[in-house]
Amino acid sequence: MNQFHFHSRSAWRGLPLLLAVLAVVATATAAEPDRLVVYSGRAERLIKPVLDTFQANTGVQVDLLSSGTTELVNRLQTEGERTQADVFLTNDAGSLERARELRLLQPLTLPDVERAIPATYRAADNSWIGLSGRLWVVVYNKNLAKPSDVTSLLDLADPKWKDKIAIPNAGSEYLQAGVSVLKAAYGDDRVRQFLQGLKANASTQVYGKSSQIVEAVAKGQAVLGIVNHYYIYRHLATQPDAPIAPLVTDQQAGGMGAILNVAGIGVTAHARHLEPAKRLVAFLASEAGQKQFADLNKEYPLRSDVAADPALPERKKLRTAAVPLAKLSELREPAMTLIEQAGLR
Amino acid sequence: MTSATASLRHTLPHPLSLLALGTACLLALPLVYVCYLALTADPAIWFRLWTTRLPELLSNTAWLAASVAAGTFLLGVSLAWVVVRYDFPGRRMWEWALVLPLAMPTYVLAYVYSHVLGLGGPAEQILQTLAGPGARVMSPHSYAGATLVMILDTFPFVYLLTRAALLNFNVSFDEVARSCGASRLRRLLGVILPLLRPAIVAGLSLVILYVVSDFGAVSLLRYQTLTYAVYQQLTGRYDTGAASVLSILLVLFALLFLAAERWFRERSRFYQTSGRYRSLERRPCGTLGTTLITLYLSLVLGAAFLMPAWLLVRWSSSALLQGAVDARFFGFVWNSVLLSGLAATAAVLIGLPLAYLACRRPSRLHLLCLHTAYAGYVLPGPVAALALLVLFSQLAPWWYGTALVLVLAYVVHFLPAGLQSLEPALQQVNPNLEEAARSLGESPLRVLRRITLPLIKNGFLAAWVLMFLQSMKELPATLLLRPVGFDTLAVRVWLEASEEYYQLAAPSALLIVLLTLPALWLLVAKDWRAA
Repeated sequence: MNQFHFHSRSAWRGLPLLLAVLAVVATATAAEPDRLVVYSGRAERLIKPVLDTFQANTGVQVDLLSSGTTELVNRLQTEGERTQADVFLTNDAGSLERARELRLLQPLTLPDVERAIPATYRAADNSWIGLSGRLWVVVYNKNLAKPSDVTSLLDLADPKWKDKIAIPNAGSEYLQAGVSVLKAAYGDDRVRQFLQGLKANASTQVYGKSSQIVEAVAKGQAVLGIVNHYYIYRHLATQPDAPIAPLVTDQQAGGMGAILNVAGIGVTAHARHLEPAKRLVAFLASEAGQKQFADLNKEYPLRSDVAADPALPERKKLRTAAVPLAKLSELREPAMTLIEQAGLR
Repeated sequence: MTSATASLRHTLPHPLSLLALGTACLLALPLVYVCYLALTADPAIWFRLWTTRLPELLSNTAWLAASVAAGTFLLGVSLAWVVVRYDFPGRRMWEWALVLPLAMPTYVLAYVYSHVLGLGGPAEQILQTLAGPGARVMSPHSYAGATLVMILDTFPFVYLLTRAALLNFNVSFDEVARSCGASRLRRLLGVILPLLRPAIVAGLSLVILYVVSDFGAVSLLRYQTLTYAVYQQLTGRYDTGAASVLSILLVLFALLFLAAERWFRERSRFYQTSGRYRSLERRPCGTLGTTLITLYLSLVLGAAFLMPAWLLVRWSSSALLQGAVDARFFGFVWNSVLLSGLAATAAVLIGLPLAYLACRRPSRLHLLCLHTAYAGYVLPGPVAALALLVLFSQLAPWWYGTALVLVLAYVVHFLPAGLQSLEPALQQVNPNLEEAARSLGESPLRVLRRITLPLIKNGFLAAWVLMFLQSMKELPATLLLRPVGFDTLAVRVWLEASEEYYQLAAPSALLIVLLTLPALWLLVAKDWRAA
C-alpha cells in the first residue's frame, strides 16, 4: 500500500523527473576522457577481440555498437554533430567513402599510418584508412563441384546451377560492392542478365550472413556460394573436415580480376575523444594490430611488412579488378537499383 | 461540489483533459508521420517498389497469414473441444499447459526450429536413421517453416477464446438439432461451429495481426513479409522513402483487417436463451480414447513448448560451462530491466488519465483521446521505429540516439495492451464511491489517491507487468533504436541466433521465457473459469 501511495503522489510530477533521469543516464558518460565509442558494421566477434586488446594496452574503455553498415552511415548522418561515435569501423570501402562524402569523417594526418598503408587503400584525404583486404570469392562444395566448373563470377548465372547457389541478400554491402565492380567492368546489360540468372539459381537460398552461406555450402544445401574469402577459413577453423574450398574467379587472361574490398576505419567529424580515436587507428595500422586483425579474421593485412596467413591464396599472384575503391561510393546507388530491378531480396 | 466550481468546470477545459489531449497527440504522431512520409515519398519509389518487390511481399504476407490462420483454427478449436468435451486423466493440467507456448517469443521458437529442422539437425538425423541416408526434412527457412513456427506460437489465442466460448455453450441448441435427427457431423458444422464463430474469429484476428506484424520469426527464417521488408529497406538503403511506403501499406493492411473483423463480428451476434441454460456434458474416455487424446496433446505441446524449452535449458547449461554468463550478460539483463521498467512506468502514467477520463467523463473528446492511444496496434515494431527515428531526427535531434526514443517506441507500441487491462479495472470502480468521498469534502486529488487508485491497483499492476514484458521481448524497434551500450536480452538472442550461435543465444532466450511465464499467468488467470 505504501508503495502505492508513493506512486500516486508523485505520479504527475514524476514523469518529467523520469525523463530527466533518462536523459542523464543516456548522456552522462559522454564527457569522460578515456572512453571511445566505436560504431562497427563488422560482425561483433570479428572485431571485439582486437578492441579488447586495444583496451587492455591503453586503458581506454571502448564502447561498441554493432549494427548494419548502411544503418550506421544513416545513423551517423542523422546524429550529425551530436553523435556519440568517435570512430566508424566497417567492412566496405564504398560505405566509408560515402561517409566521407557526407562529411561524417575527418581527414587525418598520421605519417606512420600513411607510410604503412599504401595510398590505394586509403581515402584521398585520409578520412578513412583501409585495414584489411577481403576477396569476394566463390565457395564450392568439393563433393559436388570441381574448381574448373567456374572461371568467372558470371558463370554463376548459368542455368545448370539452378537451386544450387547461395547468395547474400540485397542489403548486403558485399553484394552491393561486388555488383558495383561488375557494373564498372561489364556495363548494365550484362550485370542485369547476371543478376537475373543469379536470382533464379539461388531461389530461396538468400542469406543475411556470409557465415550462413558457407554453412549451406558445407552441408551440401547449396553447391556454390558467393562470400568473402575469410568466412571459408573461419568455418574450416572450427570444422576442418568440411568439404569446402575457395575459388578465386576471373583470373583468366583478359578477365576482370577478383573483386577486392577493404575493411577500414575513420574518425568521425565530431569525435569527442579525438586522441584515443587516433590511437586506435594507429594501433590497427601498426604491425601488432595488423597481425591480430589478419590472424583473427584470415584477411589480407594491408601493410606489406605483415604476412598474410599462409593458407590464403598468395596475394601477389592474384589479379584484382581495376576499379578504385573510392569509386565504389558513386557506383553504389546505380548498383542498388540494378539489384532491386532484378528482384533480388 | 459547489455550484461555483461546477460552472467553472464547464467553462474551462479540465487540466486533465488538456493533458489527455496532449498525450493522445503525442501517441498519434508516429502513425500520422509515417503516413505523411509515405505520401510525400517520390512517386518513382512507389513505381519502383510496385514493379519489383511489392507483389511478392503482399502475396507472401497474405499467404502466411492465411495458412497460419487455417492451422491455428484446426489446432485451437480441436484442442479446446478435447479439453472441454472429454474427461480424461490430467485434463486440468492440460487445460493450463496449452497456454504455455505464448511464453515463447517468435524469434526464440524460430531459432530453435532453424536448428531442429536445419540441415544435419536432430530432425534430419532421426529421419535418416528411419528412412536411410539421403532423406531430407523440409527446410525451416521457407514458407512451410515460417508457417509451422507461427502456428505453434499463436494457436493458444484461438484455443483460449474457443475454450471460453465452449464453456458458455448452451447445450439446448445441440439437443434441438439432435431431436430433429441431425447427424453428429451436421450438428458440428451447422450448429456448434456457427455458434462458436465470434470467439473463433476474434482468436483468428489476434493471430493474423500477430503474424502480419511479426519480425522475429520471419527475419530468422528469412521469409519475406512486409514487416521484414520494412526493416531491410530501413537498414539497407540510404533513404527512408521505400521503408515508409512499405510501412503505410502495412498499416493499411492492419486497418483493413481490423475493420473487416469488426464488421464480421457485428454481423454475427448470437444470444444465449435465458432460462433453460445447461452447459455441455463431458464425455468420459476409455483407455483408447485417453491414450489418443494424451498423445495428441503431448505432440502439440511438445512441439510448441516442451521440446524448445528443453533445448534452451540444455544449451544454456553448456553456455554456462563455456563462461558465457558473465558480467556482460548481466549487463544485458540490467539494460532489459531498466528500459522495460521505464517504458512500463511511463505507459501506465500516460495511460491512466486517458482511461480515467474516457471512463468517468466519456465525452467525444475523451473517447477520441483513448482511441488514439490504440494507434500503436497498427504500428509493427519496425514501422514505429522508422517513425520515431525520423521524427526525432527532425524535431528533437538532441534526443536522437538516446534511450528516451526507445522507451517512447515501447510506450507507443504497447500502450494498447496496457489499456486493455486499465480500462476494465476502472470501469469496475463504482463512481458512487468517489462521489461519496467528494461529498465528504475530499479534494479530487485525494479522492484519486485514497479511493480510485487503491481500488484499481490490480488492474494497474497487471497493465504494468504486461507492458514490462512486452517491452522486454520487443526486438525490431530495439535493434533499430538502441543507444550505444544498450543491447537487451532480445537483441542478444537475435544477434547470436542469426550468426547461428545457438548455445550463446540460449541463456538470454531462456531468461525471457522464464520471466514471461508469470505475466502469462496473470493474463490468463484474469478471465479463467475452471471447467
